[in-house]
Amino acid sequence: MTFFTIVVRGLIRRPVRTGLTLVGISIGIAAVVALVGMAWGYEKSIEKQLDVIGVDLLVSNMSAGIMPKVFDEKIQEKIAKLPHVAETTSVLMQLLSIEDAPMMMVSGREWGGFTWNKLKIVEGRMPKDGSEQAVVLGTLAAEVLKKKVGDTVQVETSELAVVGIVDGGAVVENGAIILPISVMQEATGNQGRINFVDIRLTPNTPKQTVEELGKQIQVIFPEGRARDASEVVSANQGFRIARAMSWSTSLLAIVVGVLGVMNTMLMTVFERTHEIGILLAVGWKRRRIVYMVLCESALLGFLGGVTGVTLGALGLKILEFTPAIRGLLEPDLSPKLMLISVAIAVVVGVISGLYPAWRSSRLSPSLAIHG
Amino acid sequence: MVETVKNGQGTLVYEAVGLKKHYDGGKVAALRGVDLQIRQGEFVAIVGPSGCGKSTLLQMLGSLATASEGVLNYRGQSIADMADPSEYRAHEIGFVFQSFHLLPTFTVAENVQIPMFEGGSSRAQRIERATELLRSVGLEHRLTHFPSELSGGERQRVAIARGLANKPTVVLADEPTGNLDSVNAKQIIELLLKLHRDLGVTLVLVTHDLAIADLATRTIRMKDGRVISDSGVTPPTDSP
Repeated sequence: MTFFTIVVRGLIRRPVRTGLTLVGISIGIAAVVALVGMAWGYEKSIEKQLDVIGVDLLVSNMSAGIMPKVFDEKIQEKIAKLPHVAETTSVLMQLLSIEDAPMMMVSGREWGGFTWNKLKIVEGRMPKDGSEQAVVLGTLAAEVLKKKVGDTVQVETSELAVVGIVDGGAVVENGAIILPISVMQEATGNQGRINFVDIRLTPNTPKQTVEELGKQIQVIFPEGRARDASEVVSANQGFRIARAMSWSTSLLAIVVGVLGVMNTMLMTVFERTHEIGILLAVGWKRRRIVYMVLCESALLGFLGGVTGVTLGALGLKILEFTPAIRGLLEPDLSPKLMLISVAIAVVVGVISGLYPAWRSSRLSPSLAIHG
Repeated sequence: MVETVKNGQGTLVYEAVGLKKHYDGGKVAALRGVDLQIRQGEFVAIVGPSGCGKSTLLQMLGSLATASEGVLNYRGQSIADMADPSEYRAHEIGFVFQSFHLLPTFTVAENVQIPMFEGGSSRAQRIERATELLRSVGLEHRLTHFPSELSGGERQRVAIARGLANKPTVVLADEPTGNLDSVNAKQIIELLLKLHRDLGVTLVLVTHDLAIADLATRTIRMKDGRVISDSGVTPPTDSP
């Protein structure tokens, strides 16, 4: 028998209660994994999309919301003339409700711009020109909308022909409806307006020059800012709100977990007053009793954490295939998130065990034995 | 600092002077001033009616309860002033209780190993020692049984084995036969006597059974929280 055996026995002596507490922690941790995994996943998906397209800098006005505000498309022409800017392309991208899908990324792109180049035709063709009333669908978008080449899709006021299915190399690309920008502007009533300028820089542009370029862009477009892919995500207020909400909801779940474990451990200590009295009588130090109670609650947290991560991972997989989300993001179930979640669960366990452990250490062995 | 006192009758193990114990804010007096000395290797029986304070005295000898007033020394050191009484309980004392107080979710061998976690022994050493102790009390065939699977006498033998786990110099037994039938009671007393003889432990036993007390080398009688007679103390003579 080891000390760990004693700790385990302490937990399994009331298997139903321990099981229910584990369920409580697991749900809390599953919520953390699912919510944070979604938030991180969304951020990563956007970063990957920009990386796949080959965007070095992105100019937008990220003042509010998930999508940036629209601005005059002429700004693109001015930016294109700046030094070290190799190529630019204007984009009008919006999250729209498309037919039965509650939210889809619809990306109007400057015809002929580099953002079209990375799209691989899986079926059908690309639009013939920038004015054709047509779209190509990412593979996931086609699946979600249940569309094939030859069908039509309603984008706001326009009914557009589906001329091709494309593989964009990233979940966000594959989940999008892609069309020439003029068609998008017309469909959404944003003639002459865009909300992104994608920039490719000349090769090996030094970082300092990129910063200088950012300042020059700010002069041209005071409300906007040039950001690299990672900044796009971190600067977006919508992302920030989503991240804050995911963590605050998780925190709530964790608080519930703490109360659950604390209740269980307190009950355990109260029920085991006699047993703790015996341990003290046979010479166990009070700190060993404290350590035992803390180890029990930490183990409870650890087991709850592992179960919670498993449940959260399953939840994320289910969410990934939910029509409302499919194609918008690729949930992030990284080892980092799993480790953080289990660590949170263990910390929750230890914190929850502090008071019960303190209570147990205050017991008088005589009273504990004889009641 | 441990101080030993010798007066030709063995090293002084316990010395109590004016020992009092009050409960309930002084309303209940369990001990009303006990003076006694117990020496190394003695077998002391403490007898008296229920509520006379004998179990309270035993608990105080084992540092399970603290004195309200008076002095109680173990080998010259005040038990109340011990920095870590658990050290004393773990290494100097072995307890045997009337109700056995075994842990029900642990096997017989595991119950005996429990005190050894404070002894710094390895897992293998703990197993070996527990097996050896259980063999010495005739329970080598019960190692993997749970307390609920044992008879009362067997449970008490496990408790005795547990009490000896860390090789104590003193065994404090509180009505060890109180929950046993006469056959088992006899076996337990014989076992305690054997351990006392073979290991040389000081045995302090609380009992209301005068037949058991007669087996002790010394009997202390208590009543109403006081020692009324002590066969180990010669009454002072008033004659000049």
